[in-house]
Amino acid sequence: MSVTATPDELQAVLLARDFRADDRVVQIGANLPTARAGALMAGLSTHPDLRVVIGLSVDNLATAASLPAVRELSFHARSAFEGEAVMDQGTVFDDVASPDVFFVGGLQVDRRGNVNLVGIPDGDGGWKVHGPGAVALATMSTNCRGYYILMPAHSPRVFVERVASITALGDRTRRAELGLPGGGPRLLLSPLGVFDFNDHGDMRVVSLHPGVSLDDVQAATGFALDVPEAVPTTAMPSPSELDLLRERVDPGGLLRAT
Amino acid sequence: MSAAGTRTELVADARTALESVQDGATVGIGGILTNGRPMTLVRELARRGLRDLTVVAPVAALDVDLLIATGCVRRVVTSYVGCEGIAGVAPLFRSAAESGAIEVWELDEAHCGLALRAAAQRLPFLPWRGGVGTDLPIHNPRLVPFADPIGGESLLAIPALPLDLALIHGHRADRFGNVQFSGPTHMDPVMASAAARVVVQVEELVGNDVIRRDPAATHRWRTTSVVPARWGTHPYAATTIEADVEHLTAFAAAGKRAARGDRDGLEQYLDAHVRGPADHAQYLDHIGLRRILELNP
Repeated sequence: MSVTATPDELQAVLLARDFRADDRVVQIGANLPTARAGALMAGLSTHPDLRVVIGLSVDNLATAASLPAVRELSFHARSAFEGEAVMDQGTVFDDVASPDVFFVGGLQVDRRGNVNLVGIPDGDGGWKVHGPGAVALATMSTNCRGYYILMPAHSPRVFVERVASITALGDRTRRAELGLPGGGPRLLLSPLGVFDFNDHGDMRVVSLHPGVSLDDVQAATGFALDVPEAVPTTAMPSPSELDLLRERVDPGGLLRAT
Repeated sequence: MSAAGTRTELVADARTALESVQDGATVGIGGILTNGRPMTLVRELARRGLRDLTVVAPVAALDVDLLIATGCVRRVVTSYVGCEGIAGVAPLFRSAAESGAIEVWELDEAHCGLALRAAAQRLPFLPWRGGVGTDLPIHNPRLVPFADPIGGESLLAIPALPLDLALIHGHRADRFGNVQFSGPTHMDPVMASAAARVVVQVEELVGNDVIRRDPAATHRWRTTSVVPARWGTHPYAATTIEADVEHLTAFAAAGKRAARGDRDGLEQYLDAHVRGPADHAQYLDHIGLRRILELNP
């Protein structure tokens, strides 16, 4: 088996590695196959007590007879019968303190970690670009212990000084002023590297993926990144991580297709 | 002593159940993403060619695109319109929002449930924290930031959203409007509670004795009509049928072409699936029993 991971496989592994030891509940929204895979990997290895709110079910992987498939339409009806409990949209927001971890995708992200998934306003009350909508980003990013920002692209149009519209408030200073109870963004993963937010709440480079230089990533970012003195190369998936991912979590190869 | 009265039966076909819906109505559509979408009822609305509807769909799929394609929609109240890996954003929703052909009331998913719950409880609003500090209140000024009168915290008022009509897909019902689900109920119960009229399509019509075997599964709905519609979520999923990925992929592609100005494929789709079939049985005939069986889980 090749040990060359695809970008999506790398993203799944990076997420699985980063969960805190005391993360108990991970909730995954629609159309985030790498988040699904990362949560399943953690549930099968480091986190036997983890509950994953996944599709229409709530499951624990340590005791599951079979695993939820990583598939194109993740919220499929029969997934409700695959876990230990059902995810019911009508009541899931009655317990906003429960999910420790959530995942946020975006059209844009800014230096302060604010994410825009709604769209780019045209300045006249309408939309230059309309995205899919807020989904539950505002509620979940407000309340969960920590969340991961998953950006499908890394360019100056996507990584901007100030997002055109805030769907998930990442800015640490504003969050504190407004008394938001959640922990805010933990990491941001892009096709070029791994990022977090420094003591001032500005985006900082954690590691760069193999073959990516600091010049590359700065040129692809529409603001000055905080760059520490030493920037390591992202550790690629180990053979055992890839085995777990490919043989158990994603045997269908959805994350290999990219 | 007078003789016992006769309980009213509520069974109707889709056309009869929806014939009183007027232009400009506010219509809720149940389900979540590609599950539990009441498509037999949605196709009937589209076939009627109603105008200026406000469509309330908390987490919608391409059913909203179908109503936009047939010119029915003035406004969409939603937190998401898309089809996961098949279409990250619903193409006609996107183009209509960008051209100004529709107005979008931007909400967080939880706001959708709160707005319906406020309507059901006859409250002007319910408070929520999620969305504080975001730009959602700029795009949707009906979301009003306010200071909590008890502790002074920053909160958002989520306004009540009463519906003229809720369209719901249930698993089974009796003739009197007792509806039971298979699996999760999404926001369908609160949506029904927020609506003046509730039309429920169901996989199977059962006797009242069947309902009485599991009363805990029955929702306290003011059901107006029960529409028998086996596999009535197609091309979306229910526990009786998988989502028809091929069908949805083709519809999304036709929508993308229409958004670029080429409506031929979309019109062909509408002729075949909305305008052509006179009723649900004819729709299923068009899809074909072989395909339906392939989609059986």
